[in-house]
Amino acid sequence: MKTLSRIVVLLVAPLLSSLVHTAPLMRGLGPEPDSLDIHHGQGVSSLNILRDIREGLLTVNAQGQAVAGAAAGWEVSRDGTRYRFEIDPSARWSDGQPVTADDFARGWRRALDPATASANAQLLSAVKNARAVLAGTVEPEMLGIEAVDDETLKIELEQPVPWLLYLLTHPVSYPLSQNGSDDHRQGPFNGAYMLQSWVPNAELVLQANPHRSAAFTPTVKWFPVQDPASELARYRAGELHITETIPPGRYRWLVANLGRELQVHPYLGTFFLGLNLRREPFVAQPGLRRALALAIDRGKLTDLVLASGEQPAFSLVPPGLGEYQPQAMALSATLQAEREEEARSLYRAAGYSAEKPLRLQLRFNTSSTHRRMAIAVAAMWKQVLGVHTELVNEEWKVYVNNRRHGVVTQVFRGGWIADYADPSNFLDLFDSRSEQNWSGYASAELDRYLDTARRMPANRQRRRVLQQAEQLLMNDLPLIPLYYYVSRHLVKPEVEGFVPNVMDVHLSRYLTVGERNTQ
Amino acid sequence: MLKYSLRRLLWAVPTLVLLITLAFFMMRVAPGGPFDSEKSLPPEIEANLNAKYHLDEPLVQQYFRYLGQILHLDFGPSFSYKDWTVNELIADGFPVSLTIGSLAMLLAFFAGTSIGTLAALRQNTAVDYGAMGTAMIGISIPNFVVAPLLILLVAVYAGWLPAGGWDWSWQRMVLPVITLALPMIAYIARLMRGSMIEVLHSNFIRTARAKGLPETTVIRRHALKPALLPVISFMGPATAGLITGSVVIERIFAIPGIGSYFVQGAMNRDYTLVMGVVVFYGILIILFNFLVDLIYAWFNPRIRYEDHG
Repeated sequence: MKTLSRIVVLLVAPLLSSLVHTAPLMRGLGPEPDSLDIHHGQGVSSLNILRDIREGLLTVNAQGQAVAGAAAGWEVSRDGTRYRFEIDPSARWSDGQPVTADDFARGWRRALDPATASANAQLLSAVKNARAVLAGTVEPEMLGIEAVDDETLKIELEQPVPWLLYLLTHPVSYPLSQNGSDDHRQGPFNGAYMLQSWVPNAELVLQANPHRSAAFTPTVKWFPVQDPASELARYRAGELHITETIPPGRYRWLVANLGRELQVHPYLGTFFLGLNLRREPFVAQPGLRRALALAIDRGKLTDLVLASGEQPAFSLVPPGLGEYQPQAMALSATLQAEREEEARSLYRAAGYSAEKPLRLQLRFNTSSTHRRMAIAVAAMWKQVLGVHTELVNEEWKVYVNNRRHGVVTQVFRGGWIADYADPSNFLDLFDSRSEQNWSGYASAELDRYLDTARRMPANRQRRRVLQQAEQLLMNDLPLIPLYYYVSRHLVKPEVEGFVPNVMDVHLSRYLTVGERNTQ
Repeated sequence: MLKYSLRRLLWAVPTLVLLITLAFFMMRVAPGGPFDSEKSLPPEIEANLNAKYHLDEPLVQQYFRYLGQILHLDFGPSFSYKDWTVNELIADGFPVSLTIGSLAMLLAFFAGTSIGTLAALRQNTAVDYGAMGTAMIGISIPNFVVAPLLILLVAVYAGWLPAGGWDWSWQRMVLPVITLALPMIAYIARLMRGSMIEVLHSNFIRTARAKGLPETTVIRRHALKPALLPVISFMGPATAGLITGSVVIERIFAIPGIGSYFVQGAMNRDYTLVMGVVVFYGILIILFNFLVDLIYAWFNPRIRYEDHG
């Protein structure tokens, strides 16, 4: 009987869905995915595919918010360190087997197993014993995740993680079927789609999972396109419904010619210049750092130089994180002329003048956008303060290494895009113990704020502590915020269900291709 | 001849070993590693990754490990495309590059030699100047200009052909093949014209004409073969270059060939991928130079390789 019903489902589901929609959805993917193994895929393109073919305890809705996925419901302990999830009994793998609590435990243990060598594992580091498992000192079975029975999962954390529910939408936290193989291109999958075929650098074809009840667009084709200009050409030739991005320098043309299809929206990310505080001239020179930060005309930078929809930034944390109030640096609300006046007096006070100008190196990795940014910033510093800036363009890996070691850097291209929607994701960058603290900023006060916030569940009090932390950063300025990122897509008028959101996540299951609009 | 060929083939082995050694150590001298990215990894994760890919071993040990793998024709897993082995990537990508490259070379050969011959026969006429002028333009306009222009005109405006992508249909081959062939046509045409003019002035052609042979017979039977020699020797390495893919063409037309693995592998410090493509490319170059030598000997009886050579 069970087999029979499965066969009926297998036969009828695609038939039904094909009656509703027939046209495949064609999406630009950007770079080729680095891996479709949930524990190795890191790039945005990998995450996009993984979110289509697999699902965690939670998933994201069209608005980009975390909502119930494989879990039907959950309870959190008062201190925010223990979670209990009820697995949705109707959740199925693409081979028809139910998704069980055990599948999640299997996935998480593999994520932290040293033999897996997962680069994403650090996202789960707050789980009890995670760091010890990762270091190989205790067995993966000691990890703070436990399948009480098939439908009940218990998770224990070492400290509260207010963004845990969002983290559970990230592929690193997804379940692994006991029938899965080590080749993660093979199923079974538990997402809305199954991976049907994958030709590297050409296309990934997804078919609707017959064990999911909702009717989705039956076929989705993702096309890796490395060159945004080629992606635009294919979009204009009608071969793509949605692009991953737009080519640099084409924003105005697109506004004028494809304005109705252009979707440019705030994105949870900030572009900044980092200042290496371990090296002169920035050791103990907050005045000089402030002078450099004030001398840059961000409006000119975003409107004239980048001209792709970015917004000027005066804080590290971008807007769009609920009730959190980003803390701007001083004088952000005044006119640029006043900021420049203040910059000049700070510059003089730091001991520099026209006769004795400051000489700086500004490092960035190869990219036409970074180059334009760097030239403009150097020109503004020259014009307002008289600083001599040498631009140093480095190949990607050389740049990443130099920035990390902080031996040769002075000013460097920085920037951060949120892993999860929480201000701490940005502020933690400047924790003196963080691997991402490329400025070498070490403030006991900031570390204290961050530690305090780490012990608190999400509430107003925690928000206030984090705001204090950001205020401190914007006072000390180990970084110069320049602009907030935006997401950029072209979406054909016949695509329905595309909702802009700050995480820029758009699962294929919410998108349908309707009748072609003839205007 | 046989002995000569055998010796040439045997020389390929030390050449390849030298190539592998140079490429291996040059790759490792480059700053940064495969796991450096925008986000720095915690030390314990980095240690796990290095252990998994044997990057924690001394370099010389890694080198011999790699040589051992190559003997089994195993290029190892790719660092940047973690779900694929380098063998799989080459096996998937090479047929695509081979198809596009061979078609482009065929087109270039026939179009190039025809135009070149025509120009030589009508030396210093409008036909000659027109053909050579066009050829000059063809050589000087880079294909990253030609390709987007073709896409814009043929795919976006006219809608006759797709703008990019790959599914083995002829429609998707047309534009990349033409773009790839254009500079080759121009180059071969110039080469052919030069050598044809030289041959037409040589004594044996004068003799043939003196015997009263019709001009077409003189060209077809006597002039064509020697005039093709420089074209043939050019085509060996050029074909090896074409069939191993072109980064520019693959990027602009979104074609899944192996050309971009070279550049991307190097950028990503994907040691195994770069090594795999280098070795593969090395083998092809050696093979094609060898083939050219054989064809050359067949075409030109004067320099047929003697056993004492």
